[in-house]
Amino acid sequence: MRRKQDTLTAWLFLAPALIIFLVLIVYPIGLSGYASFTKWKYTAGLKGMKWYGFQNYINIFKDINFSSAIENTFLYVLITVPISILLSLIFAYLLNNKVFLPKTLRLFYFIPYIANAVAIATLFQSWFRTDGLINNILSIFSNDTVGLKWMTDKNLCKIPVMVMLVWTSLGYLIIIYMGALQNVSSDLYEAAEIDGASKTKQFIHITFPMVSQTTFYLIIVRMIAVFKVFVSVNVMSMKNPARYNTSIMVEVYNTAFSKMQFGKACAEAWILVLIVLFFTAVQFVGQKKWVHY
Amino acid sequence: MKIKVRKYDLASKTVATVIIALIGLMFVLPLFWMISASLQINGDIYKYPFQWIPTLPRWENYAEIWNSGEVPLLTMYGNSIFIVVFTNLGIMFVSILAAYAFAKLQFKGKGIVFSMFICVMMIPSQVTVVPRFLLFKDLSLYNTLWAVILPALFSVTSIFLMRQFFMTVPDSLLESAFLDGAGHFRILTQIMLPLTKPTVASLLIMNFVTCWNDYFNPLVFLPSKKYYTVSLGIQYYYTQEVPSTNLTMAMSVCAILPVLILFFTCQKFFIESITSSGVKG
Repeated sequence: MRRKQDTLTAWLFLAPALIIFLVLIVYPIGLSGYASFTKWKYTAGLKGMKWYGFQNYINIFKDINFSSAIENTFLYVLITVPISILLSLIFAYLLNNKVFLPKTLRLFYFIPYIANAVAIATLFQSWFRTDGLINNILSIFSNDTVGLKWMTDKNLCKIPVMVMLVWTSLGYLIIIYMGALQNVSSDLYEAAEIDGASKTKQFIHITFPMVSQTTFYLIIVRMIAVFKVFVSVNVMSMKNPARYNTSIMVEVYNTAFSKMQFGKACAEAWILVLIVLFFTAVQFVGQKKWVHY
Repeated sequence: MKIKVRKYDLASKTVATVIIALIGLMFVLPLFWMISASLQINGDIYKYPFQWIPTLPRWENYAEIWNSGEVPLLTMYGNSIFIVVFTNLGIMFVSILAAYAFAKLQFKGKGIVFSMFICVMMIPSQVTVVPRFLLFKDLSLYNTLWAVILPALFSVTSIFLMRQFFMTVPDSLLESAFLDGAGHFRILTQIMLPLTKPTVASLLIMNFVTCWNDYFNPLVFLPSKKYYTVSLGIQYYYTQEVPSTNLTMAMSVCAILPVLILFFTCQKFFIESITSSGVKG
């Protein structure tokens, strides 16, 4: 084909993508990296940056809000990711040929995934209020639960966030798992059936290992998504000024746009980037090691 | 190979269906609650037991958010639609051109550009929010809808998916067009694009949902009420001093409804957009 003209055409075709990429992505990434080492009086614009060394990074780890944000975010990841993965695998397993009308039924599970997260967060806030639906339902079973403060208690307020994280993630995970499960050969199940393996044993010894590659991928995808959690926490903590349930992104947002400490906010954001990059790297390396084929 | 359906299979299948359907109901129940609550007076929402079907549906709640003096529903719909339409058009324009270059053109530096895109894909975009904030202030784009639209136009996922699709189109098809004297632009618009409809549809849907539901970018870049999107509209009612769960829920219903309608009319593309973006290369 016509080589020389190709080069020109190629760069012309790439130009729109490259311009946005360089101006609105690469430049801001670089600037925020630099800014994280400065004390930044933002009203003075770019000139307001003063070299601050590692002081921002030292300060954020002394900051109680940010330490609890890190702690909470890791807690959210540790608790919600396994639950999401396990539930979605079970549901996908049942939805795949174990039920009538699988395609219609899976639509139900999909709705929370596409519904506006702000809407869902405000809804959960209403449900978890002291006089909300959750406490009303719990009061049927036990009198001890009357007046549980789901939204304001130091520890309890993390539960609505986690419920929302799991509830909204399942639709996506189920769709991916259903695809993966369809690729598991039915011969394996038939052989197991002949050997007299129970359905539970088949699930543990055939289904689970056969989709391990997908599981590994989804674990990483979910971990990264949960590390970046913002909407649910930000909306729910609006009515709880103590922000006991705060997350890394919520702190970045508040440091930047409530306290107007831009250098510090960039440092906090870079901690998030390092965490995400670490787990992306784990994915690249680990995929080969821990996955059965 | 067909597995014979035995009697206990039929029974267990029925049981599984009932269980899955019941659990599935828990996933739509909140939507029912949302609709019921949006049709009540605020004081009734937290009464026990909750009225799942309001005896006297209060449609005035919807009239109230429609006629709101500060944030009329139509303004928010207008803003969200503006953002969605221009983001989607832009993403398609940018991604299709770039994807064609990556898939069908030979040029120096292709590898470098491509790996740069991949590297940046791993860095969460939230890290760029502070510099973007200042950049847009300098460019007087802060507090305009373009501040939300422009950064979204570069979508690595869209570029990659289009590229993957273009690569499946055989080169021989292009070469015969070359012989007839067509340039790359004509090949792209007249031969490639008509073939890409399903991929484009999946991408449009994926980007529509992301864009319509976006909260973080409008929150940072759109402080004026006249630029509120539907997500910010929900937050507006949610943060009112006067408790107004009913209005918050009415606004939520209005925010979710367009996505649900789209979902039920184009399910196939929804599922496709998930599976294609989820496939790991």
